[in-house]
Amino acid sequence: MVENIVFGIGITALAGALAAVAGAAEDTESDIGSQGDPNSQVQLAPQMGFIHRIFNKAVAGEPPAYGLWCALGAGLAWIFLIKDINPILALILGATIATFVQGVYATSGYLGRTASLAKFGQPVYIDILKSMLSVTMAHAFVAIFTTVAMCYLMNAVLGHPFPLPILGLIWGIALGAAGSATGNPFYGKERQYQNQKFGAGVPISASGNIVRYAEAGQRNSLDNGWFSAKLGGPASGICFGLIVFLELWRTILFEHIAAGWGAIIVGLAVILVFVVIDRWVEVYARKNYGPYTVAEEASS
Amino acid sequence: MSALGAAKPAAGGAIDPVSSVVGLVLAVIFIGIVFVLAPAALFPLLGIILGGVLIGFGVHFVPVGGAPAAMGQAPGIATGVAMLAAGAGLAGLFGGAWAAELGVVVATVTGAIGGGLMMAVTCLMVNVIYVFGMGIPAASGKVTKDPLTGDTQAEYKSQGTEGHGLPFISFVGGVVGGLFGGGGGTLIYLMLLQVYEQYLPVIFNAKVEEIMPVAVSLAGIFAIGLFLVNAVLAAYNITGTIEGPHDPKFKRFPRAIVASLVASALCGLVAILIVVVNLNI
Repeated sequence: MVENIVFGIGITALAGALAAVAGAAEDTESDIGSQGDPNSQVQLAPQMGFIHRIFNKAVAGEPPAYGLWCALGAGLAWIFLIKDINPILALILGATIATFVQGVYATSGYLGRTASLAKFGQPVYIDILKSMLSVTMAHAFVAIFTTVAMCYLMNAVLGHPFPLPILGLIWGIALGAAGSATGNPFYGKERQYQNQKFGAGVPISASGNIVRYAEAGQRNSLDNGWFSAKLGGPASGICFGLIVFLELWRTILFEHIAAGWGAIIVGLAVILVFVVIDRWVEVYARKNYGPYTVAEEASS
Repeated sequence: MSALGAAKPAAGGAIDPVSSVVGLVLAVIFIGIVFVLAPAALFPLLGIILGGVLIGFGVHFVPVGGAPAAMGQAPGIATGVAMLAAGAGLAGLFGGAWAAELGVVVATVTGAIGGGLMMAVTCLMVNVIYVFGMGIPAASGKVTKDPLTGDTQAEYKSQGTEGHGLPFISFVGGVVGGLFGGGGGTLIYLMLLQVYEQYLPVIFNAKVEEIMPVAVSLAGIFAIGLFLVNAVLAAYNITGTIEGPHDPKFKRFPRAIVASLVASALCGLVAILIVVVNLNI
């Protein structure tokens, strides 16, 4: 019994670590490709007269996109496992094929989206497509492989009843949701609008005027990936890692207490801890940053 | 002109009585079909409808800022309504399905807590990024004071924006939305599993243990599908972004409840007929 619990905690920690890597890779990948909500500005910029060399491959929001890719990777891995292929090889093969699908979507996404901006004078840069594509695919592979590996651990080792493809779909959608929620503001506000004031939101009147020049030459999405990887990516990793780790941890350790109510009470307690931390963060910002000098009225 | 006016959909939070009655009649018909064809699946269908309504209602709590939130131009989480709710609800479904053996009540509450936990972590990290990564405090654009803490909002809203980050009421709304979504999704899964456990052994002429992988997979994929149907319906009702329970758009939820009820009844009917119709053939 104790050995089982210790083993379960070890797997939980491993799954949490895989999830953390997945979250970081997912956010960096989506920022390099402008997949999330900040994409609206990349799409808007040429329409406002700001021609740019930012990669623009969004075909769907991050959650459905990663739901598809992770379900695909998990489904293929599942088939390979049924064919008695070594699990590690099966996971790698599944993730690799899913990554190629991501590459196809990224290519058609960039060409289609950018071509639609032709009337505003935005060129389709083939060198951008060639240099960005491999980088987004590499990050996507890391995100898909770690998520599928995590799902495999949940199914094969921890005994979750859902088959691998359904777990891939569920955690792929959750990965995209966590990554876009945490990472998008950092890329959207802090990087695309680096020319705006720090410590304030982007005024709506500045929409579309994204930063297009780097230290040398024009900025491209590799510069954006480098920037996001410093905070947005790791924060997304912590977010998704915590979600997976805490969900598994409370189940493995406390589900057997009081016929399942143990895990519920612990989950509730963890939620309350996060509520308190959030309130502390909110009050910290209000005290230390203070109000803006010009107060704005509520819109309604 | 008057004809155009009559054809207009109900504005704001108003419920269009004609379409609502038509929808409810349809829902009764769907329930009646199940009652006639498979009386044993009647209570599971009612459970599926309840789960769908919980999801549709819960989505209205989730603070979603969409693209403007990604630029710090509006409060909320920078992603789409349906997708964020799906992320939370499905994380809850994961936990709830794991606890299925412990009974409907425990499993549903476990699923609810799973969804709430996912949203608590996500909402916290949103505020952490805003405060420590971007130096921006949370501020609502829809209310002058936070209804829970009483904190004034207007002076913390930067110039030219609708607000940013997640004020405390939005954070709590996100957690409550996750609780409803996770619980609703798990309830749908449990009800479908109950139906499949009953009918699949007869179809395949096999023991319950032998059909469990098929039953679990079918119930899981239908639960995810039903979740997305209800989340997207609620997202259409919200139209774009919402700050949480204090947002005036929150008052539109009765319309979403009617829509979720009808859609869940139809989807539940299809999910049940898949096994029942085969049996009759």
